[in-house]
Amino acid sequence: MRTTPPTLSELGHRCDHTTGCITCSDEGIPMRVVSAATSDGIAWCIPVDRPEGSVALDPDEVMIGVVAPVAVGDTVLVHAGTALLKLSVASAEAHS
Amino acid sequence: MKFVDEFRNAELGEQLSREIAALVEPGRHYKIMEVCGGHTHTIYRYGIDDLLPANVELVHGPGCPVCVIPMGRVDDGIAIARHPNVILTCFGDMMRVPGGTGSFLEAKADGADIRMVYSPLDALRIAKQHPDREVVFFAIGFETTAPSTALTLLRAKAEGVRNFFVMCNHVTIVPPLRALLESPDLRLAGFLGPGHVSTVVGAKPFEFIPIQYEKPVVISGFEPLDMLQSIHMILRQLAEGRCTVENQYTRVVPYDGNPQALRVLADVFELRPHFEWRGLGFISQSALRLSSAYRDFDAEARYDVPGVRVADPKACQCGEVLKGVIKPWECKVFGTACTPEHPIGTCMVSSEGACAAYHNFGRVARDRAVV
Repeated sequence: MRTTPPTLSELGHRCDHTTGCITCSDEGIPMRVVSAATSDGIAWCIPVDRPEGSVALDPDEVMIGVVAPVAVGDTVLVHAGTALLKLSVASAEAHS
Repeated sequence: MKFVDEFRNAELGEQLSREIAALVEPGRHYKIMEVCGGHTHTIYRYGIDDLLPANVELVHGPGCPVCVIPMGRVDDGIAIARHPNVILTCFGDMMRVPGGTGSFLEAKADGADIRMVYSPLDALRIAKQHPDREVVFFAIGFETTAPSTALTLLRAKAEGVRNFFVMCNHVTIVPPLRALLESPDLRLAGFLGPGHVSTVVGAKPFEFIPIQYEKPVVISGFEPLDMLQSIHMILRQLAEGRCTVENQYTRVVPYDGNPQALRVLADVFELRPHFEWRGLGFISQSALRLSSAYRDFDAEARYDVPGVRVADPKACQCGEVLKGVIKPWECKVFGTACTPEHPIGTCMVSSEGACAAYHNFGRVARDRAVV
């Protein structure tokens, strides 16, 4: 029987010390809205800077309560599953 | 990657580095604090320190949310998690933060049901999947993260979820900055303001720093060129004898922040009279708790918690590191007893913590190249 607690990676934790933790740090991820917001404040988004050829992941569920309304194609800055800001066209281009 | 590469352009970086060197007065020492843990991470990941003249020193502030959590709050979380019907949820970095009686990870290994989530919405989902259990979200973070918790609580209330609770440890950025500015052992020349906190609160809350303390503040982005440009902007203000709040990160941060988010925060939270910060002690009105309208969701009202103040381990000098008084490698246990695998202090836990950043990117005391 093991006497040490499981490591974070054994528990499926994706944070690592070279890329940082997206949720608990101050990181904001620019994401594009791909599916219209539902009436209860959720939109489905994908990261705008996913490198070409990388495996397409399912869109993330993002709370848009403090940036509503959003439309498909808008770019939002997402932190811990919440869109904090709608990025302007110029800044969205700067992240695409 | 378009525009990310531009913000990491080596040639422009070298040019900025030369311009920074031209701005500094020989014989004057410039101590600049980066407030945000994300900045600390960028500095060591990209070696920003090596592009600065020797008399420009970057010191690391209290901007990593897990680093400032006092040990007693971890113990309180574990006490809640030990209730047989409770599922405690938290962000990943929180799992290894040592409390007086161990970490969440150790409590989990010991049988407590503690689960990592990537957003408070995931915690709410767990609550809906397990209506027979009580799900507690251990909320941490600055104003960047607080809107996520607030929106989740709005949702829980609207959906009538009765088995979801929040142990609120959200903190605010301005009071600790004021505490640092009042600290006699710190002589700062200026601040690199937090980029993503400012998307919510805007640049206005930092105006007291130039007005009352006569120090420049530059809100900075997170790419290497963002940071070099921000340092250049601080040094230019100092060279010209000015001090004001400037926004380098205009492509993201509006000067007034996000009023919609601030309204949601004001509805869901209220200020605590005081809150303990690791290394900084008790600071008035520096943290949030649930407002009376959300008292039914407050884990601290629902469960008895020890609420005991636990002294940090004697060998650990996280307090001095968080105040920028010492560099991580100057701590007695850095890299020996305290490592990212077995942290003694909180600054070694999160990748945004100054000690972990130094440790992982091989930054120890050494002479800097003359630029």
